[in-house]
Parts: sequence; C-alpha cells; structure tokens
Amino acid sequence: MSPKRSHTWRWIFTVVVLLAVLIVTGAALGWYKLLREVDQPPFASAEERFKYGSIGGENEAGIPYWIFVVLPRMFPEYLPGPGGYASLGVPWEEGHELPVGFTKKTVGFPRVSNTCAVCHTASYRESPEAPPVFVIAGPAHTNDIQGFFSFLSQAARDPRFNADNILAEIGLVTDLSWLDRGLYRFLIIPLTHQALLARNFDWMSRADMAPWGPGRDDAMNLTKYFMLNMPEDGTYGPTDCPSIWNLDKYQPDEGMRLNWDGATYDARSVITDSALGIVAKPQADFAAQMDWLVEYLGSLPPPEYPFPVDQALATTGRGLFAAQCARCHASDRTGKSVRVDEVGTDPNRIASWNKEAAIAANRTATELGAERRGMVEEPLDGYIAVHLDGVWLRAPYLHNGSVPTLRDLLTPAADRPAEFYRGYDVYDQQNVGFVTQGVAAEREGSRYDTTRRGNGNQGHEYGVNLSDADKDALIEYLKTL
Amino acid sequence: MATNPESEAPAPTPRHGRHVPCWLALVVLLAGLAAVVAWAYARFGVDRPVVYDDPQEHFKYGSTGGEREAGFPYWIWRVLPTVCEDYLPGEGYASLGMIYEAGHDLPVGMSKRRVTGLDRVFLNCAVCHASTVRDAPGAAPRVFAGMPANTLDLLRFQRFFFDCAADARFSPSYVIPAIAAAGGDLDLIDHYLIYPLAVLLMRDQVMTLRKRFDFVNHQPEWGPGRVDTFNSAKVIFNFPLDRADPAELIGTVDFPSIWNQRLREGMQLHWDGNNTKVEERNRSAAFGTGATPSTLDRASIRRMEEWLLDAGPPPWPYGIDPPTAARGAAIYREYCANCHGVSGKDFTGAYVGTVLPVDEIGTDRHRLDSYTRTLAVNQGLLYAGYGDERFSHFRKTHGYASMPLDGLWLRAPYLHNGSVPTLRDLLEPAADRPSHFYRGNDVYDPVKVGFVSNTASQGGGAFFVYDTRIAGNGNQGHEGPAYGTDLPPADKDALVEFLKTF
Repeated sequence: MSPKRSHTWRWIFTVVVLLAVLIVTGAALGWYKLLREVDQPPFASAEERFKYGSIGGENEAGIPYWIFVVLPRMFPEYLPGPGGYASLGVPWEEGHELPVGFTKKTVGFPRVSNTCAVCHTASYRESPEAPPVFVIAGPAHTNDIQGFFSFLSQAARDPRFNADNILAEIGLVTDLSWLDRGLYRFLIIPLTHQALLARNFDWMSRADMAPWGPGRDDAMNLTKYFMLNMPEDGTYGPTDCPSIWNLDKYQPDEGMRLNWDGATYDARSVITDSALGIVAKPQADFAAQMDWLVEYLGSLPPPEYPFPVDQALATTGRGLFAAQCARCHASDRTGKSVRVDEVGTDPNRIASWNKEAAIAANRTATELGAERRGMVEEPLDGYIAVHLDGVWLRAPYLHNGSVPTLRDLLTPAADRPAEFYRGYDVYDQQNVGFVTQGVAAEREGSRYDTTRRGNGNQGHEYGVNLSDADKDALIEYLKTL
Repeated sequence: MATNPESEAPAPTPRHGRHVPCWLALVVLLAGLAAVVAWAYARFGVDRPVVYDDPQEHFKYGSTGGEREAGFPYWIWRVLPTVCEDYLPGEGYASLGMIYEAGHDLPVGMSKRRVTGLDRVFLNCAVCHASTVRDAPGAAPRVFAGMPANTLDLLRFQRFFFDCAADARFSPSYVIPAIAAAGGDLDLIDHYLIYPLAVLLMRDQVMTLRKRFDFVNHQPEWGPGRVDTFNSAKVIFNFPLDRADPAELIGTVDFPSIWNQRLREGMQLHWDGNNTKVEERNRSAAFGTGATPSTLDRASIRRMEEWLLDAGPPPWPYGIDPPTAARGAAIYREYCANCHGVSGKDFTGAYVGTVLPVDEIGTDRHRLDSYTRTLAVNQGLLYAGYGDERFSHFRKTHGYASMPLDGLWLRAPYLHNGSVPTLRDLLEPAADRPSHFYRGNDVYDPVKVGFVSNTASQGGGAFFVYDTRIAGNGNQGHEGPAYGTDLPPADKDALVEFLKTF
C-alpha cells in the first residue's frame, strides 16, 4: 500500500471513528436529557398514588416542569384571578408542590401532567374558616377545566411566550445548567410552544355557548375534536365531572352502562378512554396502570356524610325513598338508560355523541393499543339512572349540574334557581349541596345561567309535590347513601 | 498534520526557518487571548461578598446573596439621595430611619458584594431587625441587633427608589456626574460602559418592581417599624392584586424581634403562626433581601441563622424595683404565663407558640386575612427543585400566635400591628388606649415601657402619626379580665415592672 493511500485510509478511519463516537455520545446525551424515564418516588398509599401518580401522560402530553411553574407568573392576566393555578379552583394540599391531579415526572427533564384525580377529587368545607377536605374519586366541582385550557392557549399566543422571557423567569426560580438552558431555548420551549399552538381551543369559547364553568367539561366534544380529529358539529354538551368511587356497582353483564348517556360498556372502558384523553399515547405500562385503577376504583367506598344525621328522620325518609325514588335508583333500572323524553332533562348532552363517533373512538383506542370492551356503537336516546352512593357530595345535581342542591331538585323546575354560583366548596347541610349564593360564593364561584344552551334545569320532576316535612325526611335519608 | 511522521517522511521539511515567526505569532496571540480572558474573568467573573468575622457584624452587614440579582451598584446607591433629593424627607437614607455606625460606609442592614464586575449593595435581615435606643433626645444611640427596626420606614424607602427610577434624573447623564462629584473614582470602563449600563438596568428592574408593588399605593401608610409581609410575598408570584378580594389587601404589621430562634423551633411562627419551620421562615423572609433559590448565599445566611439561634436580647438597662417585680411575677404567672411562657428565657407554657382563634384574641384581623390559603399552596412551589429546601410548612390559620416575650421592652409598640405604644397602655381596655400616637422615635420611656410616643417632632423631623381608626391599625383586642386590663392600677404597674426582666 502506498504511503499516500495509507494516509487516506487513516483519515477516513479517524473521521469515521470520530463521527461514530460523536453520534453515540450525542445519542446517549440526547436520550439522557430528553427521553430517560425516571420512576417517581414511591407513594405512601394508594390514595397518594391516585392523587399524584403518573399514568404516563408526561411523555407525549406533559408540560415541561419549569415552564409550568413560571407561566402563571408571566401571564397572570389570563387566569381568573390572583393565585396562580389555585385561581382555577384546583384542590391543592398545603405544603404540596403541585395541586391534586398533577404529576411530576422526569422524562429526560422534569415534566408535569395530569391524573384522573384532576377531574375526580371533590373539595368541601364545613364553614368558610374550616380547612377544605379533599375526597378522592369525588366530582371536582371547583376545577375550571376550560379555564386551564384557555390559560395555556392564551399564554402560547402571547408574543411574550418566547425563550428569552421564559428563561429569564425560570432564572428567578432555579439555576439551570448551560446545557439545560440551551435545551430549553432551542428545543423544549419551541416544541412546547408549537404543541400548544397546534391545539385549537376556539370551539370551547363560542359566544353562543356558555362557559363550562367549574366542575364541568364538554367530554364528548373533547373526545371528538381532540382525540378523533372529527370536524366541529355545533353540538354543546358540558356535564358535571362524575364521582368514580365504588365502580364495581356497575354490572355490565346486567346491562348497566357508564357515562351520563350510557355510552360506555364498563368501568375499564371508561377509565381507559378517559386516561387516553390525558396520556395521548399509551406507554408500555399503560395496561398495568389501567388494571390498578380498575381495581382501586372498583372497590373504593363512597365517603360517609361527615355531619350529623337525624337517624329517626332518615328512617322516615327511607320509606319515602322506596316510594318515590327506588323505582329508578334502587331497582333493576338502576345503572341503565332512561329515555330523555321520560326523564325530561336537558337533551344537549345526548346530541353531542353518536354512533359514528363511538365507532371511531373504538378504532382509535384499538390502534393506540388499548384493550377494552369500549364504547357502545348504537344510537343513544337517554340518560343513565345513576346509583346514588355518596350523593351528598355530588352536587350540583343532574348530568349538567344545573340544580344546586337536593332540596332544589325536589322542587318543580320552574321554581328551581334560574341562576346560581358554582365552584364554591362551603357545604350547605340544610339543603344538601354547596352554598351557591352570597358574596363569598359569587367571589369564589362562577355564575351558572340555566337559560343558556345546555344548562337547562328542567326534567326529573320527581318528588316535587311532597310536603316540606316529607322532603326533609327524604333529604335526611339521602345523606346516608 | 505536521506531527504525522509518516506523511512528512517523504518530504523532509526545509521550511523550518519560515516556521519560527508563525509559531511565535501563534504563541503571542494565545498569550494575548489568555491575558484578555484572565482580565475579563478577574474584572467580571468575581463573586465575592464583604465578610465579617464577628457574627453580630455579619448579621448587620453580611450578605444573603441578594446583591447577585437585585443588588444596586454601590455608587448609584451612594448618589441617589443627591440625585433625587426631593423624594427624601430629610438628608440621606438616615432620614428614612436607617442607622449609620461609625466606620461603615453602608447603613445597618445593607451588605456589599463584588459581582458582575462591580460592587453591588442590597438589604439583609438586619435592615428590619436592628434598631437604636436613646435615653434622651440628645443622647447617643445604642444599636441593638435582632430588635425590631422601630425607626425604619420601609414603605418610604421602597417608594424613594420607585419615584426616583420613574424620574427623568434617573439616567446616566445625571447619575454619572453625581458619582464623580461624590468622589466615586470610576475607571474608564466603569465610567463609560459599566455604570451607564448599570443605571439603565437598575431603572428597568426598579420600574418592574414598582408596577408589581402597586398595591401599596392603595394601602394606608405603613409608618416606621412596619411592613406588609404577605402581600409583598404575593409579588413573588406576580398575583394580580388589583383583582384580589379587598379583604386581603391590608396586612401591615410590626417588624418582630428575632432572638432566641432555637427556643422557637417547632412553634407557629409569624404573627398568624403560618409556618412551623425556622429555616423555611428565614428563607421566606430572605426573599425580601432579594435572595432567591438561585442567588441565596447559603453559607453566609447559615452564619446569620446560627447566630440567631442563641442570640438574646440586651437586659433592661434602667433599673428594676425587686419587690414590685416580685409582686408582678405572681400576677404574670396567673394571667400571662400560659400563653407567653415562664420568662424571657423559658418559653414553657401550654399555649406558647400556638394560634389563638381571632375571635378569642379580638385583635385587628386585617393581617390574618391578608394571608390566604391560595398564597399558602403557591408557597409550596418555592425552592422547588432544591430537595429538602422546598417550602412545605406554610398553612392558612385563623388566628394569631401567642409569642414568647424575650426582650419585650425593645418590642414596642405592641400587638402584631404595633397599635399600642407602651406596655402600660396595653394593660388598659382598648377604649382607654391612645387612639393616636407618634411612631419612629428611639427615645425610651422607662416608666410606661415603650418608646416615647407623644412627641410630634424632634430635631427638625416629624414623627409618623399612627391613627388607630384607620383600616388595619385597630388597637382593640387582647383585653378583658383574662388579659389583665381589669386589674387595679397598682397591679398593672407591678406586672409591667416584672415584664422589664424579660
């Protein structure tokens, strides 16, 4: 071999080796800094895991932790009031880093995502001065879910959402290494920005549709538009976040169904589909996570009424319940659909879902690798007569949360409050529900107008003609469920 | 590849002679570059605070790290009282109640650090927790570290910088000549580059703070010796306070004394007892000195904390009548000890350091309402990413904490909002307490135990009029049979005599 050729080969060899080393190092560094998954620290209890444990949302749908931390400080004008994320009504335990239902997990870098608990943790207070009690698996009646979406979307559209400003704000709360700053500047911030801009949230805030308000989401439209990429169809069906304790009571073999309209066959399906809304793309351990949730929520007992109950009165009420309510709520009709023309409640939610969407949802879930029985591929025409366990904490009532208290529900629709405030968590023991009127309720809550589309409080006019004494007794009994 | 012998073998280099100047040039160039880098590092890379060996001096003048981000360039700080003279009530920072000691070019509570290429100064703990006492108007002041900064008007101090930054004179063309006139011997780089830039940067920074602190413009004047701690804390999170519940917008309280922290560990700290961890409370207060998670000087603040663990108050200097004090001791045991501890050194007592519901204590509730659960949960994000340093002890409470009474004589005016001028007044029912008095005097009144509060002015300066009828200033509460306000006057005198021993 001539010296010249040998020289050339050496060069090529050196360059190849250097390139290989560079690529391997770069890939390793990239993996370490962007993709490496670090398990969360173990949780002290199943309850803690439910509140803060990742279900895998960080990988695809997570917000980079430091961006999450500084956004409320940069864009407080897009939040409903002072208080950062707390202004959105999220249950947040004192001394905790994140609100209930928010997870922190490192996937390359720390990221924040959500768990089921974000929509399924109820908060109540005995009095304005009492500390709030958070009941997991209860309906999150204080959370402004639309407010959260709208905050992120408005922040992303603001020209101040850029690497310079975000890194300056992050610099006030932590000391990132030069490498992390570089990754944030050139990769993490631009990608986050892009992802937030890519989502079209406009359909949520149309002038002809009332805001969801705290404790509600337009679940079926979220599914159609965000998960199935279906075109907007003008329907509007916001509903209350439901309680999800004690799910074993739903017996699919007996024809019981889940979702307000019975759109889903069984608990596993509804848990899986809801989780897909958070996770976006299931990870390897997704099935195991679902197994755990199905088991945990299946047997999680409803909370007992925490205030005094007049047992004698409740006993009287039990008889009234048997006469007035049991036909649907404690019989073989329970957990099954009642036609909307029978129950008479607001029909908008029914219209927001259909057979085509169900077929598309089943197909998408299967493509994503989720194993579940799935959604009912039939036209639906009614609302489920729900089980009433823990009904005391499930106010406001009806599927759209249009009736503030149980006492209001036992009133003819024409006499129910036409306007009230949702999202205040001080408990009303007298009427069973939350306080929905008064200065504090107006300040902390949001106005609910029953005349707006989808917000109708008509229907379910059962027991409305009972005497006041009978209503007292019936309500007393309902506290014990 | 000059070093590859194989490739060079066929053509031995005859150009050796021509290489010498090349290498030389390279060496010279590299050396020059290294010199520039070394100079730049020495000029701009240094991060070194002025340190004090004596722990008490360190407390008064040492750094919390706040200068790194918030620090005022030393010479700007020095000349602003000249540049913006008309925004001060008198001459220099002393007219705002700051204390100057001989041998120091900065007042008590200001630290200095060489960082980002210039000397920068900012507040430390002592600015709010050190003050002076004089025995008579003409007497020399004695400085006591750890006592409440009774004379400092922190709101006017803030406002001075806000007003000055918003003024056209806060510009290089006014400030740089003022520095030269004040004897600031700036070198060329400082004079033409660093300081002009620093003026602009500082103006931006102060103007941002001015906007975020707008809430103070809708509050009653704080007056000397007071601060709104937790509405200021909301500024860390940039809460839009213009949309806040009006009930939470006044939280002005007295600066507390900060001695004997070791004995306070585990107690409910702050006036409303919202935190039970001394170090966390300290780092929370350190935000006021500009120290953030990324700028906090941990070693330096640790020295202050260690000193505060066992530093105690100075003893009462004016003489005590032992038989009267002994009589007072018995009354104290009966009426006060359960909530306030056995003595100024022994804080044992069933309710010491715990929160008493506000309806029971009956004192002004504004401060309580200024601290919200919303703020408490957000504080859980402070120092996130710093392991155990993350804040986890803030809680919303619904009353005020019963405090130990060490150094009580230096802690006047009394109650959390400083609404009662002397101890003797505190033992009267609220209706008989002074409805107006003057704050900010450091002349002591050994009879009523507190600072002189009935003198409107002294040495040309007017004292602040504290009006108890203004929102947040109420002097009600801590009264009734259980609080000793119904005792015969002689018993009250005896109790006050005993409290001098604390």
